Amino acid sequence: MAYDDLRGFLDTLEREGRLLRVPDEVLPEPDLAAAANAAGRIGEGAPALWFDNVTGFTGARIVLNVHGSWPNHALALGLPKDTPIREQVEEFARRWDDFPVAPERREDAPWRENTVEGPDADLFQVLPLFRLNDGDGGFYLDKAAVVSRDPDAPDDFGRQNVGIYRIEVMGRNRLAFQPVPVHDVAIHLRKAEERGEDLPIAITLGNDPVISIVAGMPMAYDQSEYAMAGALRGAPAPIATAPLTGFDVPWGSEVVVEGVIEGRRRELEGPFGEFTGHYSGGRRMPVIRVDRVSYRTDPIFESLYLGMPWTEIDYLVGPNTCVPVLKQLRAEFPEVQAVNAMYTHGLLGIISTRKRYGGFAKAVGMRAMTTPHGLGYLKVVIVVDEDVDPFDLRQVMWAVSAKVDPAVDVITVPGLPVVPLDPASSPPGMIAKLLVDATTPVFPDDRGHFGSPVRDLPETGEWVRRLQALRSEGVR
Amino acid sequence: MSTVICPRCAYETVDHVATSPVPGVWDVLQCGRCLYMWRTTEPERRTRRDAYPEAFRLTPEDIAAAQEVPAIPPLRTGR
Ligand SMILES: [Zn+2]
Repeated sequence: MAYDDLRGFLDTLEREGRLLRVPDEVLPEPDLAAAANAAGRIGEGAPALWFDNVTGFTGARIVLNVHGSWPNHALALGLPKDTPIREQVEEFARRWDDFPVAPERREDAPWRENTVEGPDADLFQVLPLFRLNDGDGGFYLDKAAVVSRDPDAPDDFGRQNVGIYRIEVMGRNRLAFQPVPVHDVAIHLRKAEERGEDLPIAITLGNDPVISIVAGMPMAYDQSEYAMAGALRGAPAPIATAPLTGFDVPWGSEVVVEGVIEGRRRELEGPFGEFTGHYSGGRRMPVIRVDRVSYRTDPIFESLYLGMPWTEIDYLVGPNTCVPVLKQLRAEFPEVQAVNAMYTHGLLGIISTRKRYGGFAKAVGMRAMTTPHGLGYLKVVIVVDEDVDPFDLRQVMWAVSAKVDPAVDVITVPGLPVVPLDPASSPPGMIAKLLVDATTPVFPDDRGHFGSPVRDLPETGEWVRRLQALRSEGVR
Repeated sequence: MSTVICPRCAYETVDHVATSPVPGVWDVLQCGRCLYMWRTTEPERRTRRDAYPEAFRLTPEDIAAAQEVPAIPPLRTGR
């Protein structure tokens, strides 16, 4: 099931009991953010949250936590809502092999229904903006898919980038945003600024659930996010031409904001409570002038709370961080069974692998640190045996507790790169990295007393099925 | 607006950015110096200077020292 817009997905979430409508009147602050924060504090399986009775607003419709649980993430991929996370990642990796799937251009985009431009392009008239965390410098757009093009190759579809960046509302028609230097849009901006030009940009809000997943996904510079969305959806991604910039934007967006990043200009931005669970900001960032806003009638404002993990962003970017690392490792080491890099966007990752010979697991762990995503993340890598499920932290902790000899299996490599947002990095962007080899040593690495492992009984698999069947009958 | 100061940096020039669609419920204000933006109905810890947490306050020195990210590159010449 491929969703062409957010509304279609919300219908499915509601039908599946995965969308909670809050009927009470709520304050824009602190209620909206506190409710979404609470979604991460009520155990697994929190629903999406819908608000349409917000103090002072008329007709505001706000949805939060759309991706914020494994059932919702499964439904976003068109999978049954009870699909375990490890299977979701494996299915995601399988669909990745279908990349690229060319998008389908449609010209009847529903966001063409309404337009404001020039001096009338007032974001406050279109969006029910609100603050997330106490220390945030203002109101943020943090789940928008931002489209930019390479000024040196404006017609190259693959080098058109779609990404999620934090965007602060600085005025009625002004935004500030943070292009992390390693991100594609930062490359586009540098080229424009070297020429002394502005960089056109399109910011799309309220997208179908797969667009949000691919926009937050670590991909190569010349890979099209729309072509990846098509692979993940199992159907071409519907796109349309944005009227002012001519960029390709999602057909189904609720709101399309167009303008330019003003070249060679910076303004004070932030702070903003980040995915690391810490604020960052107080720096001078690029600013955007909004020239045109197109929007569906009665647009739905989708936003995302983030703060101390876990929050929606961990569900949104967890699987899409595992998959590239898994694919890149398996390309060279087919022994790799699974990768769980869901902790703080992959600052910590757990890899399960078979071993060819002594030291192999350590080599796999070090290779993970030098994959494209691992370079800026994977500060801590834990390698476990092939029979340990890296998504089952109880098993991982067993492996670390029982298999590790700290004299041999714990390795620190100093002076490596990391995202500057890592609060432990010093100076920002520099860190030591840690490899923990929690696999069973194999020949010729002969040490320890691992010769007699207790394994699950051969009949246990059958009993797992029997217990599950009995339990689901008991529920009925 | 003359009595309102910025909760974050205590600057005395505050701009009016937006007003509630339901008249008279709230306004959105912005500091003319540090650009902090807030809604008048937010909790006092976000809207009043005396209740604004020390950790989030900004001084003119902080603002002046703010780093440029990313740095503005040199203009490309000889094109
Ligand atoms: Zn101020």
